[in-house]
Amino acid sequence: MIGVTQKATTPMKTFTAFIAAAAALAGMASAQTVAIMDGTVHTVSGDVIENGDIIIRDGRIAQVGADLSAPAGASVIDASGKVVTPGLFAPVSSIGLVEIGAVDDANDASPAQGPMEGFPLGAALNAIDAYNPSSALIPVNRAAGVTRALMAPSVGPTMFAGRAAVIDLSGRSNSVTRAEAAQYVAMGERGAERYGGTRMGAWAVFREYLDEARSYHANPNDYVRRPHDGRFAVSDLKALGPVINGEQPLIVSVNSANDIRTLIRLKNTYRLNVIIHGASEGWRVADEIDAANIPVITDALYNLPGEFEDIDATLKNAARLNEAGVTITFTEGAHNIRLIRQHAGNAVAEGLPYEAALKAITLNPATMYGLGGQLGSLEAGKIADVVIWDGDPLEVTTRPDAVFINGRPQDLNNRQKMLMERYRDLERGDLPFAYRGGE
Amino acid sequence: MRKTGWTALAVLMLSACAQQNGAESEEAAEAAASEDTEIAAKAAEKDGDDGDKADGAVHPPLDPYPSTYEAYPGETVLLTGATVLTGAGDRIANGAVLIADGKISAVGAAGDIEAPEGARTVNANGKWITPGIIDIHSHLGDYPSPSNSTTSDGNEIVNPNTAYVWAEHSVWPQDAGFTRALAGGITTLQVLPGSANLFGGRSAILKNVPSRSVQGMKFPDAPYGLKMACGENPKRVYGERGGPQTRMGNFAGYRAAWIEAAAYKKKWEDYWADYDEWAENDDDDKGDAPDAPTRDLKLETLAGALNGDISVNMHCYRADEMVQVLDMAKEFGYKVRTFHHAIEAYKIADYLAENGVCAAMWADWWGFKLEAFDTVGENVALVHAQPGGCAIVHSDDALGIQRLNQEAAKAMADGRRIGVEIEPEDAIAWITANPAEAMGIADETGTLEAGKMADVVVWNGNPFSVYAKAEKVYIDGALMYDRSDPKRSPRVDFELGLHDNSFTGGAGQ
Repeated sequence: MIGVTQKATTPMKTFTAFIAAAAALAGMASAQTVAIMDGTVHTVSGDVIENGDIIIRDGRIAQVGADLSAPAGASVIDASGKVVTPGLFAPVSSIGLVEIGAVDDANDASPAQGPMEGFPLGAALNAIDAYNPSSALIPVNRAAGVTRALMAPSVGPTMFAGRAAVIDLSGRSNSVTRAEAAQYVAMGERGAERYGGTRMGAWAVFREYLDEARSYHANPNDYVRRPHDGRFAVSDLKALGPVINGEQPLIVSVNSANDIRTLIRLKNTYRLNVIIHGASEGWRVADEIDAANIPVITDALYNLPGEFEDIDATLKNAARLNEAGVTITFTEGAHNIRLIRQHAGNAVAEGLPYEAALKAITLNPATMYGLGGQLGSLEAGKIADVVIWDGDPLEVTTRPDAVFINGRPQDLNNRQKMLMERYRDLERGDLPFAYRGGE
Repeated sequence: MRKTGWTALAVLMLSACAQQNGAESEEAAEAAASEDTEIAAKAAEKDGDDGDKADGAVHPPLDPYPSTYEAYPGETVLLTGATVLTGAGDRIANGAVLIADGKISAVGAAGDIEAPEGARTVNANGKWITPGIIDIHSHLGDYPSPSNSTTSDGNEIVNPNTAYVWAEHSVWPQDAGFTRALAGGITTLQVLPGSANLFGGRSAILKNVPSRSVQGMKFPDAPYGLKMACGENPKRVYGERGGPQTRMGNFAGYRAAWIEAAAYKKKWEDYWADYDEWAENDDDDKGDAPDAPTRDLKLETLAGALNGDISVNMHCYRADEMVQVLDMAKEFGYKVRTFHHAIEAYKIADYLAENGVCAAMWADWWGFKLEAFDTVGENVALVHAQPGGCAIVHSDDALGIQRLNQEAAKAMADGRRIGVEIEPEDAIAWITANPAEAMGIADETGTLEAGKMADVVVWNGNPFSVYAKAEKVYIDGALMYDRSDPKRSPRVDFELGLHDNSFTGGAGQ
């Protein structure tokens, strides 16, 4: 349905033509064959290919290379002068669970910690139960090149926050990539403040949960027949099954070097599949983290002794962790998971190699959740999450020109863009602003 | 900290405008000895000034906690060969900036400026030079690092009108956040009280130079600001505590306060008139001088806003509320200088420009509360594009303040993509000249123009890039930060001796 984009004589015309092509593609009803030609292709898993081509067919990447031929009937995108990368993957977020942070009925990210304190369940919570694929956050972040995210419950009143899911940002009803992809628990100061104000309390309860879950899973029928003190909900213990057998990643938020060491000890004792979230002091124990084979989700912009567990926070954290061999990725809230790119760019400015930074926001998160064989890089056979950028993808002034999820070109419109269009021209018209747009 | 990210951020933004962290240094080694005496001397000097004026009438002191800031020594230095963004709209491709006696001595093309005798010439080829970055909205020192209940001093949440508090009285100069901001090129910042209250209190404008006291950081003779807040925050905080519970309650609260302040202002003016009449009366039986009114700290600040001595900084997200606030300002005859967090400024960019009000904005924050739902990336650019529009990029955040250049870059890029013509030489004003103007200090800083304070940042590349780093930061001509020299990098007392925090200077951490 779409032909080869003609090369125009001026950059502006090329740009306009390109946008038109991308917009036309976005209108396509279903996945079809697409050929992205002559871009600078960052495969992430392999080399950077100048003048590289990518053929997408049936939602997958069919071919990646230089000098490929566009298959007959393919929609062809001229990506010359553009940069092509895998879609970005936000490794932890409450996107899909929250619309407005401070509005109760628009925030399902966690049971309230205040008035509803005492809500009994934690680990049993399942993000997909509250998932809203129509959330306005999704198109905004999709238009900025994010194609996958871990949708995780936030910390509630209980030990575990609940089960997180990997979603794609297509906004489709079937956009759950992997339900129950990880369990989440907040330790460090956030744990201590819920368990007697001491880390000893938090780690003791943490161990209790794991012991109790082991006891339950060793013989569920026997367990439920025995008397209990009621502190452990059976559904929580049930949900911890894949955690205690090491199948499901357990994301643990800790920051201080001390907390990280304690976590490593417990990981080894309980044979857990741990991912660290936070690790503001991770660089101090980078070798130990690496030896324990723990990936780290960190905030590359955090460099303050904001709490006593962050005394040694530094902008060089990511570079040093990477140098030690640790698999890293970057965290941002929910509304702006698109900013993981800015984290990556800043990490580069602080010494992280460029390709490592790009990998940190694409392949590394996919790998952490066992999806590295399917997502995160531009390789034949992988799911076609692809972004075409108008410049260096780690640069703050760069924006996507086109985004593909599961091989489908995505609509880059979103409510922010619609608002901008409505108020771009403030001339009083024949009708109020409320009549603008939507035609 | 903003912790493991996503949950914390929204929560933090609820109570203050956000929350902060921060700091300063041990610097001062040599200067320390003399500083105490300086403080005493300055205080004494000011004493006579403001208290009882020569006419004998009582005048409440306008500056009872005067600045004791003094520039540190700097050399005469010619930075040459760099791309210079003056902040006044110019870009000089192969430019030079001459710093002497703490001032900008000359700015121009590299060949046109001669190094005076004894000056050091620095080859700044490939570098970019900008004015020192200015953040009009910070809580550093008031919400310092480490952040906990013992240090949280930014929001006096006890009454919807706390115009009587002064942010400077909460500023902890040992906030490490000051040093991190310095490494991001921040040379001047306005520390505002939080936004829980309709009237939050007075702001403090600081030079980002470490000191043992906040007075040692205060920007000399900078006007005070008044912090006010619209919308959700006051009604959320006071809804269950006697009100205001609604936006109409917010307005009733502002208006009642302005009426009271106008009466207070008149009371003093009447007193001074009566006093003059009494003083000029030669009659031996004229009796005692009239009694001065009793001072009221709250009304003193509000009266200062009414008479224009104190600039009004109003936290206001929604377009419709900003329009109402401007009518209120007309009703009571004061001026709103800047709307802060003006998420919806683009909807009324024409109106703001017509009224001569600046909008201070984030590049892309949104959704943490309903009044922040309508963010657009082009907000800053659309305000900028209006004839007479005044766009400012602010942080309200101890991390954001460290990279205001990147925030401006994002806003510039979004504007350019919809065809608004913005070049780096324009966009730099959002974080330099415009906030300086809005803060009432534009005669002294905010642009690279001869005669102004030598507040200068040398970047290792185009500051509108994620990879750019401030290499050198001069404040009043003194090199306060040098990325390659740990001796030119402040570290606050709090950071000393904790763990092995010695691998780099605190500022560049």
